Amino acid sequence: MNSTSRRRFLGVAGAGVAATAATTAVPGVASAASTARSSHAATESVVAYVSDATSSELTLLVGEREVVLHDRDLVHRILNAAGR
Amino acid sequence: MSSHREAPETAKDPVADNTDVYAFVSPDNPDAVTLIANFIPAQKPDGGPNFYEFGDDVLYEINISNRGTAEDDITYQFRFHTKIRNHKTFLYNTGPIHHLTDSTWNRPQFYSVTRVRGGRSTVIGSGLACPPCNIGPRSTPDYAGLAAEAFHTVGSHKVFAGQRADGFFVDLGSVFDLGTLRPFESLHLIPSADAAGVDGLKTFNVHSIAIQVPIKELTRHGNRPTDVMDPGAVIGVYASASRQKSRVFDQGKGRFVGHGPYQQVSRLGNPLFNEVLVPMARKDEWNAVDPREDSSFARGVDHPELGKLLPVLYPGVFPNLAAYAKPRADLHAILLTGIPKGVVPGFQNYTGAVEADLLRLNVAIPPSTKPNKLGLIGGDPAGFPNGRRVFDDTTTVELRAIAGATIPLVDPSYTPDGAASLVDDGTTDTNGGTSSAFPYLGNPGGGYQTQPGTSAVS
Repeated sequence: MNSTSRRRFLGVAGAGVAATAATTAVPGVASAASTARSSHAATESVVAYVSDATSSELTLLVGEREVVLHDRDLVHRILNAAGR
Repeated sequence: MSSHREAPETAKDPVADNTDVYAFVSPDNPDAVTLIANFIPAQKPDGGPNFYEFGDDVLYEINISNRGTAEDDITYQFRFHTKIRNHKTFLYNTGPIHHLTDSTWNRPQFYSVTRVRGGRSTVIGSGLACPPCNIGPRSTPDYAGLAAEAFHTVGSHKVFAGQRADGFFVDLGSVFDLGTLRPFESLHLIPSADAAGVDGLKTFNVHSIAIQVPIKELTRHGNRPTDVMDPGAVIGVYASASRQKSRVFDQGKGRFVGHGPYQQVSRLGNPLFNEVLVPMARKDEWNAVDPREDSSFARGVDHPELGKLLPVLYPGVFPNLAAYAKPRADLHAILLTGIPKGVVPGFQNYTGAVEADLLRLNVAIPPSTKPNKLGLIGGDPAGFPNGRRVFDDTTTVELRAIAGATIPLVDPSYTPDGAASLVDDGTTDTNGGTSSAFPYLGNPGGGYQTQPGTSAVS
């Protein structure tokens, strides 16, 4: 993790997963949306990229920045949400 | 064709496709170097109603390496933004455009220029206007005057960004038809009658970014070198285009939205490098990496595929080339390291051992009073491969070099085939011509004035 904290990321990811849930009705992920945003949370759109489903690496693209972090639990939650 | 549509990915992304790079000591201002990078290839002048423009979502850069490391020591960044003046019309222009500020031009484009050196960014200019495309005598009645309004002077720099006539010329139809050269095709493996060359880029325009910079701003010691043998007199140049790592189509906005840092998607130093010397399977990879990582592409230079094909395509014409099995140290020097001193008397443009596709310019060599479009092999050290001028015939130079004409520079035991110093594709610049003043490339052909060419199925 090079420019954000896991807590900060959870806030961002929670918002993103909630938005996904609104359009595809993925069950069991709505609770993530309850994570509070920090004062440092991104305020613009964010792309989360899992390039390798077997790794714990997650890339966040925001503005002109790239945030790479390693969080196996978070990657698993995203993969679960993205699965069928 | 130099680097027009030279890789699978860039062929699908013309706005970011870097087609040609030029770097030369300015003939009318020998204390300054002019750097030009062209993008958006093969523009039909009548290509409306949405005429060509730079990408607002593309970061365009001209990079200078001056310490022999092939790193970007100085970068000039160009960022564009487009406005729509009248949201109620579909027209590019609602009347004649006499000046860049006219409200009749509905879609003006502007740009900023930023210099990055040592990690520090300095904005050289912003809000600089591009000219419109050359539409026709009713829309852009005095195109030369209109374009001249976009020749900006900002501090000690001249800058221009906009449409120009493509200065590159090559017989596309022949070279991509199994490497035939019309003037010599009676000798081809599949022969036909010899014919005159056809400039495949005739009538096409490009978009150019040009900047003229004081020499002392570009050299490693911040001086104006006069000793040709001074290592500090040589700069390496390449241009690049970058896009943000992620593009998401935003349905509400009806367009792509970028996220993340800019990632290089196109680059160019020497003409034809990626096109001719890099295998198709690696062309996209080549575009994405920096020149300092070019050692993995050196095999294509040392053992060029085209050098093996010429004797096959022209049976009996290149027997000495066919028998030459050594690595091509001549091409290696010209394209990857620069030519060290001792190879060509009184000349060098060596940037060190780091293998990198850079256009190398020895700025201590003044502009030629009698330029030869064959540059160094024509006895004119102010031309390609010492940098590149807009009129240099780089296709012929590189064709002859690959055919073996330059091997004796590094291997005196080799005798070139007679054809090596004769081959060319028979073309000359039949476009808008060039100018003796900034930005040196000619005005673009107009949409109304330019006649489409012919097509034939067989």
